[in-house]
Formats: sequence, structure tokens, C-alpha cells
Amino acid sequence: MKQRVVVLGATGFIGRRLVAALASTPWATPVAAGHRSMLPPALFETVRLDAAHEPSLARAIDSADAVVNCIAGNAATIVGTARTLFAVVSRAPRPPRVIHLSSMAVYGSAVGTVDETAPLNADGGAYAAAKVEAERLAASCGDVVTLRPGCVYGPGSVQWSERIARWLKAHRVGDLGAAGDGTCNLVYVNDVVAAILAALRLPGAAGQAFNLGSPAPPTWNEYFLQFARALGAVPVRRISRRWLVLETKLWAPPLKVVELAARLARLRSVSVPPPIPPSLLRSWSQEIRLDVRKAQQVLGMAWTPADIGLRHTAGHLRLSGMT
Amino acid sequence: MMEDARDLPDGGTLNADICIVGAGAAGIAMVLDFMGTDLQVLLLESGGLTFEKDTQALYSGSVVDPHLHSPPDRYRQRCFGGSTTIWGGRCVPFDPIDFEARSYVAHSGWPFGREELMPHYERANRLCEAGEFAYTVGEAFSAPRREMIEGLRGSAFSSDTLERFSCPTDFGARYAHRLRAAANVRVLLHANVTGVGLNPAGRAVERLTVRTLTGKTFTVGATHVVLAAGGLEVARLLLANRDVHRNGIGNGHDVVGRYYMCHLAGTLGALTVPRPDAVWHGYDIADDGAYCRRRLALAPQVQRDLHIGNLVARLHHPRIVDPAHRTGILSLLYLARALIPYEYARRLDDGGGAGLLRWLQHARNVILDLPATIAFAWHLLRDRRLAERKFPSIIVKPKNNCYSLDVHAEQQPNPLSRVTLGTERDALGLPRLHIDWHYTRRDVETVQRALTLFAREIDHWRVGRFEYNPQTVEMEMTRYGAYGGHHLGTARMGTDPRSSVTDAQGRVHGVDNLFVAGAALFPTSGQANPTLTIVALALRTAAHLKHLHARRPLAQSLAIPSRVVPMRVRQTA
Repeated sequence: MKQRVVVLGATGFIGRRLVAALASTPWATPVAAGHRSMLPPALFETVRLDAAHEPSLARAIDSADAVVNCIAGNAATIVGTARTLFAVVSRAPRPPRVIHLSSMAVYGSAVGTVDETAPLNADGGAYAAAKVEAERLAASCGDVVTLRPGCVYGPGSVQWSERIARWLKAHRVGDLGAAGDGTCNLVYVNDVVAAILAALRLPGAAGQAFNLGSPAPPTWNEYFLQFARALGAVPVRRISRRWLVLETKLWAPPLKVVELAARLARLRSVSVPPPIPPSLLRSWSQEIRLDVRKAQQVLGMAWTPADIGLRHTAGHLRLSGMT
Repeated sequence: MMEDARDLPDGGTLNADICIVGAGAAGIAMVLDFMGTDLQVLLLESGGLTFEKDTQALYSGSVVDPHLHSPPDRYRQRCFGGSTTIWGGRCVPFDPIDFEARSYVAHSGWPFGREELMPHYERANRLCEAGEFAYTVGEAFSAPRREMIEGLRGSAFSSDTLERFSCPTDFGARYAHRLRAAANVRVLLHANVTGVGLNPAGRAVERLTVRTLTGKTFTVGATHVVLAAGGLEVARLLLANRDVHRNGIGNGHDVVGRYYMCHLAGTLGALTVPRPDAVWHGYDIADDGAYCRRRLALAPQVQRDLHIGNLVARLHHPRIVDPAHRTGILSLLYLARALIPYEYARRLDDGGGAGLLRWLQHARNVILDLPATIAFAWHLLRDRRLAERKFPSIIVKPKNNCYSLDVHAEQQPNPLSRVTLGTERDALGLPRLHIDWHYTRRDVETVQRALTLFAREIDHWRVGRFEYNPQTVEMEMTRYGAYGGHHLGTARMGTDPRSSVTDAQGRVHGVDNLFVAGAALFPTSGQANPTLTIVALALRTAAHLKHLHARRPLAQSLAIPSRVVPMRVRQTA
């Protein structure tokens, strides 16, 4: 009997890959749930739903063995979805296992090596606070496994691949000196999917959390160089602290305004250089290192080497004409 | 954590597992390596975060021949970051032959080979921000690069090795934030070590006496002490502490301060090539952004065959002070020499006797060559003044296709070249240094023979014409005295206490818990600028200290009554 696994956020970066991966297993049947259906319905069962709408969600997970929460978005979406999901699951007559995709952002401004027992810390901005709140809501629910990935990169990653590729190509990031000394807790998207699959089949995992990252993470400067090499965007430029301040304090706000205006006006042809937010700059110097040994030992994780992951990512970006 | 020693109570005691004296390239590299361990590390820095005149004055001393050696308070900085606050950033590893005991170079040979330093070199390169440890054209670049001298073949000289450039990285400014954040590190500024107190048997450091210029005194007890105060200051500290050993610490055989080496450097000869594009003497940029430059390196076998030391040479523009070059860019530098820091302006020194005529000739060069001069000024502003990774040097293509050679040669170890204590004392009562630097005939011969060979090679491969006057080699190589800032060999490593101060790990012979880090350890000077090797050696010593501490039983202590007292100030009664 195959597990019926509902994937919330199935049209997103991780959700899309997860649905495909589930479909290729002999033990799972994916149900792709999302706002838009970008998946061929002939291949997968799909459900159009607003995950914050309780009745819709309750119907979608009614006969599910498991639910994977891959919904991304702003703070309100994260908290709203989590509130609805865990309320529905708590009331379900046969509660499914929930794999909740959280983030290393829940560790906030912590430094040093952090394992899963480290306190959650909502001091990292609205996104981090939402992720912490979502985990708090998850804690009140029964069979929930929480995954805390670092920076999920790979083909399709807007945040940690496409955006950074554009910055590297434009030499807006590169060698940041002290500003890039922080630890880059990279995790390849396929590894996140593999961790979800393992968590779905892990017996007695209720209430467990797992960090997902690299056992030997590079610094951000090293990541930028490695990625720039894969992209052919070398030599990297040394970006001075003075210039980074200009980028984030002076240049980023108007860029953000133009970006939002273009989005509102549905001007898809307008290509606005992505702004570098100050919060991101701060994270590039944060020396926080995820302890991923538990994921290795319990979930059996073996991590994709960064050079392979970045090569695939750069190849995808080239093919899709983004670089 | 970073504090100011002037804010500590007078008369206290600090304890640590490891106390490092001096926050320069070596000291900061070591502390970075100890970060995140369970070792409590205390880093003592004499100066503040920036240059301070009173503190710098502690470096003053005397020199036997001021024409041959700069004053002791020049080319080294007594502040957080040490001399990396003024260095040029050239990174070059020592060659394998530099570590060898060479029968034709007296007192040569390191107690280990280059392979021992290799893992540390790679990390040192990153700390120096010189990019990857790739020092040949083949390693550093995936695509072919321009030849240095088109058509020059043969095995006598190689132009495939590179020098790479740091930003240049001021270790203080670059790594202060990490040291401040480290839970197991305490940095004390304005903390001058004036006393290295040994136990009665003279086999271990019991305490360091630390003083501030504001009159406070406290002591430090540490399981291990590392003197990382620079090639000159280490010798001074060892020689000045004579309470137990009457000749100074580690100086039972009168070796401390001897074998003092710098490098010999000078600009000489004239290489004329047929076309402007027949040579490439500029910089290539590696993927990681580091500036790299080819140079001519004398082959090891040639050194062995000719019984001479190591040497490298770069293609150089004509002498700046002579306006005959008619190059506006060079004349602009001459005219602006008052704005250039002392350490870099020495080669622009014309002795002050040239007068108005020379000034006018240079001004004429600037005016007649105005477009190129303006372009150069813009390049200087954008790529050097405003850039964080600075364009390393002035690259000028001579108008007549005639280059000089900028030679950097090994100075062989010589026990008569030495630093001693002078008769005067500094503001803290420590005897000042007295420098008696000597070069020998053999150092000059290294350059003469190498240049003779170079002229022959140029002629043999028909790539141009090289002319030089062997009679002027000594004058040119010593025109500005010993190469500034390379203070090497005053507490050299070795296996025999009769000819060395420390063992292969940098531990002072006969003093179990006292280590030296830095260029004072170098048994020979090689062809390379020292900073990269200073950092690599420091990382090697740090690894050794971590190993020692990992092996130590918890209660064992060499120098202090209890193992480790957390780093807090204890008021003495």
C-alpha cells in the first residue's frame, strides 16, 4: 500500500522536485497541492487550494498518510499556513505525519556551532520570527518532523542561486572581505528532498528536528568564488565595505520600490537588478554553523558536494538563459 | 574580547593557557587558529588600534651605519596589526632549495623541508588574502598567459613562477571583529611586555611583566608563552631579560641577535627588447581577484652549480629620479614623493642635492606627457587609492623598450651581522636596540653571477640585449641599504643550540614553555618576502601548541601554580 503524501506548496522550488521524487518511489503517491497547477495533471494528482483556508485544507488531507509543508512566502503566509495546517491536523480523526519545512533562520543571531537543541531565537527579522512561530505551532501537533535547512540552492533557487548569479555576473558581490567571512550553510535542493523522503519513512520520529546543511560549510566568500567559477564570472571583484554600505543602504531601497512597482504593474519585461537587502549582508558575516550530524546519523543523509551542485546549478542557469 | 590594559587595575595577575606577545601577522594568525578551541588565549599588544607616536618611540634605537640600515623604528609598526598595517602585500613562498643545507652557503639549512610547511602555506595564503596557493602560471590560470620575455627559453631562469599580492591585508583591521567575538580570546592593547621571568632553574617562564605607558604594571602567567613581536623585538626581549641567564634567555651560546639578515635589493642593468610587445611585466588577475605577476627566478641547479644564493628579478621601469626617462608618470611620482610614506619613498630619494633643475626637468616630463599622466592618475585613484584590493605597484612601459631589472636576492646568514642591546633605555626602562647589519662579498656575487648568466641567456636566445656593469652591482644593491622591513634570523631555528636559538618548533632551547614566532626564526632568507612564511610558520607552531595542550594532563603545569585560571584580573594583596 503506497503512502498518500500531500505536498503543500507543490509548485514551488522544493515542492516541485519533491512531487517528482515521490512519484518515482515505489512507496509513495504524491498529491500536489498549490495555488497554481504547473504540474501535468496526467502524471500526478493535483489539488488547487488555498492552504490558509481550513475547509479546503481539511478536505485535501482527509485521506492523506502524510503532509509535507513546503509553503514559502512572507511572514504572514508562513504563520497563516502553519496555523491552519496544524489546527486541521490536530482535529483530524487519523492525523497524518507532517514534515514541516522550517529554516535555519529559527536560530536567529546565534553564532558558533548549533545543533537541534539550540534555543529558537526570533531576533532575525520578520521571516525568522514567522519561522519560529510556525515551529511553536508545530510543537502542539502530534506526529511532526521538522527540517531546518540552511541556504537551499540548486536549479530553480531564486534566492540562493539565481539572484546571487546575477550579482556575481554584475560583480556586485564577489570577495567581500570581512563582510563575507560568515558561514554559508549551503544545502543542495536534492538533499532537502532526500531528507524529506527519509523523514516520511522514519519510524518514531514525532517531534524530531533535523538541521540540513553541509558538514564542512564554506564561508560566503568561498561560496561566491566557487559559484563565480561555475558561472564563468571570474575574476571576482573585491567589494569594499564602503561600497556594500552604498549597495544596501542607498541603492537597495529604490531598487526594491521599482521591483515592487514593476510587479504590481505586471511589467514582466522590465528587468530590475535585484537589490541586496541589509539583512542579507548581515547574514553573510554571521558565523553560525549548522551541526548536521543528526541528519546524517538518523536520516542517513549523504550530502551533494558543492562543486557538483554548483555545476548543475550553473548549467541550468545557462540553459534557461538567466546568465 | 578586546580591552585596554590601561583600564586594568594596577598590580593584578592574568592567567591563560597561551599568551602571545605581539598582535602582528604571526600573533593574529595564531590566535585565529586557537579560536573555538578550549584554550584560553591572551594576546598582548603594545600599541593601540592605530599608530601612536609614544608607543612607536619604544622601537627607537641606534644603527652602526645609517646608510646601510634604516632606523629601528622604521619599516615596523608597534600597533594592533603590527607591520601588516604598512606592508606592500607581496606573497611568495620559500623555494624547496631555501630549506636545504647547502654546502656552499655557510650556516644554511632549515630543520625541516618545505613539505612540512605546505599545509600551513595554503592556510596562510588565505589569511593573507592572496587567494589560492597557486604560485606557477600553470596552477594559477586555466588559460595561457603572456610570456614575460618572448622567446626566452632555457633552464637557467624560469618566468613561470608567480608572486601574488595580498590586498594588502592589515591583519588588525581585517580580523579584529573575529578576535573580539571569540569567547576564548582576550586581546589587551597598550600592554608592553618588559620582563620575561624564568623559574630559578631557568627552564620555564613563570611570569611576564607587563607595563603600560601610563604607569600600570601587571603580571601574566601562562602555560605557554609565544614571543611574536617581530624579528628585531624578539631578540631585544630575549637579550634584555638576564635575571637568571646572564647573557639573556636562550643565549647560552651567544646566538641571539646574530645571523641578522634582510635581503639585498636593487634596480640595475638595461634590458632592451626589439618591440614593445616583446615583454609582459604587468599583472594578471587570478579567478579569486588576486594580482599575480611573473618574475625571473634563478633555477636551483644553477645556484648549486655556481655556488650562489637564491635570487629573483622583475622587469622594472627606469630609475625614477633620473628625468632622462622622459616619462610623465614617473616624474609625477618624483614630484609627489613628499606625499609617499617613508617606507616607499626611499627609492625616490635623490640625496637632496639635485635642486631646481631636476625639478623643472621632471615638471617638463609631466607636461609633455600629460594625457598618459592623467590616465595614470585616474588609474592610481580608482585601482589603488579607492580600491580595497589595491593595484600593487607602478607599471610603466618604457618608451624606448628598455627595462631595468629589479633584483631581490638572498642574504646569506652571517654571525657577524647582528643586533645587540644599546646603552640607552626606552620609556619603560628596556635597553634600546643597536643594529650592526652586514652583507658579505658572497651576497654581491650572487647578483653578479646571476646577471652575467642572464646577459648570456638573453644573447643566446636572441631576445634582446642586456647590459650591466658588474662593478656597480655592490653600489646599486646597497644604494638604499638593507631591504627595509625584512628582519630575519635573530632567533633562528635549528637542532644545535650552539648555532640556533630555538628548536624546529620554535621553542627556545632550554626553556620548555617559551616559543618564538615570526621571521626571527628563519635560518636563511631565501628569495622570498617573509610575510607569507611568517604566517605559515606561526600556524605550524599553533598546531604544535594545540597538540601539546591536548596531551597535557589537566593538573599539570609548567609555570604557574594552578593549571589555568580563567582570564580575570586578580588584585594582589
